Amino acid sequence: MLNYQPNIYRQAIVIVESSPEPICAPPALMLDSSGHYSPVWRLDHTSVAGPVYTTPETESLILRDTFSSVPIIWESELSQEYQELGEALNEMTELEEGDEWKIDAPVYNIACSVAAELMANSFPAPSIFNHGPKSIVFNWSKEQDNLYLTISADRISALISSPERIKRRIDISARELMNPSLAFSSVGAAYSDYSREPVKQLVKGAVPDPPELVLVG
Amino acid sequence: MRCGDIPDADSLFRQTIHPLSFRGGRFAHDKFLRLSYDKADRSLLASLTWERYVPSTKLIHGYGCRLALGMNEAERAAGRTRQQNRRVYCGAYELKGKAIRALAASEGLHEILSADVVHHAEKGEIAHADLRIVIRPGVVADIEGTKTAILDRLWNACSGPLRHICDCDKDIPEHPSSILSIPPGGEYSDTRSYLFRLWCIVRFQICDWLSGSHCLTQASNSLNSHT
Repeated sequence: MLNYQPNIYRQAIVIVESSPEPICAPPALMLDSSGHYSPVWRLDHTSVAGPVYTTPETESLILRDTFSSVPIIWESELSQEYQELGEALNEMTELEEGDEWKIDAPVYNIACSVAAELMANSFPAPSIFNHGPKSIVFNWSKEQDNLYLTISADRISALISSPERIKRRIDISARELMNPSLAFSSVGAAYSDYSREPVKQLVKGAVPDPPELVLVG
Repeated sequence: MRCGDIPDADSLFRQTIHPLSFRGGRFAHDKFLRLSYDKADRSLLASLTWERYVPSTKLIHGYGCRLALGMNEAERAAGRTRQQNRRVYCGAYELKGKAIRALAASEGLHEILSADVVHHAEKGEIAHADLRIVIRPGVVADIEGTKTAILDRLWNACSGPLRHICDCDKDIPEHPSSILSIPPGGEYSDTRSYLFRLWCIVRFQICDWLSGSHCLTQASNSLNSHT
């Protein structure tokens, strides 16, 4: 008899190269010896100069619904979406100076690591736009509601809105970016508010209160 | 007659240019407006056109065609002549003055000190208006996030599109105007009565005459030659 497990364990690996020249390639899903899929952000260079950043901790993700029935197909689609996202981000760094869609290399590097975290946490791939070279915006739409992640070199701002109003804004600082688990717990909490799709909703053990945008004055 | 103040009820238009607001064959609605930040006076600026000086659909599109033409000339002057650099006017979206000014009181946008739209003729275009949003001192950690929130609010407040194909772009087989999105505010509908529209056009001519500006004449000549 088959033994269906409610808990799925993943090993997320994010590698960000410190070279000023961005070389982020689309993520790939790797099947490990225990039969689990791991998203891996590949490097195009054969050797890596400088420090390498990894997040080797294993996360326990309890999926609320029937994800386990078709995990491989779904992961494959997710991988394809993120591959296209990686290609689009890469293209945006290679555009001519002054191009409306060009983004700076530091923004690209952060966007790559954010995309890897999103994929590791099974978020669907976002559509993208920018305000100029200093930021890139990841956007998800559901009916008429929107979730935006505005990613700049040292901050991420999350925004959830409906046609009528802004529902929530969260500002994640550079310090929190150094701790991706905390940052994505915040975004995850916002996303759970935003999306009620059971297949894609993640429920994590302990989600701390998100750092809301605090405005003085 | 005062021609400078923009009433809350007046329409402002934003002309959409391909490929600036498009990516991967899709219209990126959050780029329908480009906000540039001036650190010195903590303000975000964008360009619109005021209905008073473009009181008919033909004049709205005439402005858009001239805008794309000017961009193409600048591209050529910079030595960028590839087809992918070609700027194509696709249509316009409408915003009310009231919706822009309401940003300052929007829930979740407390960093905005004031939001206004002011008439400011520019580069020979008398219909040009400045959207100007002033940020409170010392409260914004991330201006890029603020831009996203403002664009989200303005997109939800606008209506359209008014699609158009300029004469000079009729050679394009799949014109990108066909992929412009309809905003949550719905399609644009000119709710002015026939008599009021007629009055708007008469007033437009009077304002032109009173201002003694040659902009309209130049614009009209340009319109005839490029649309």
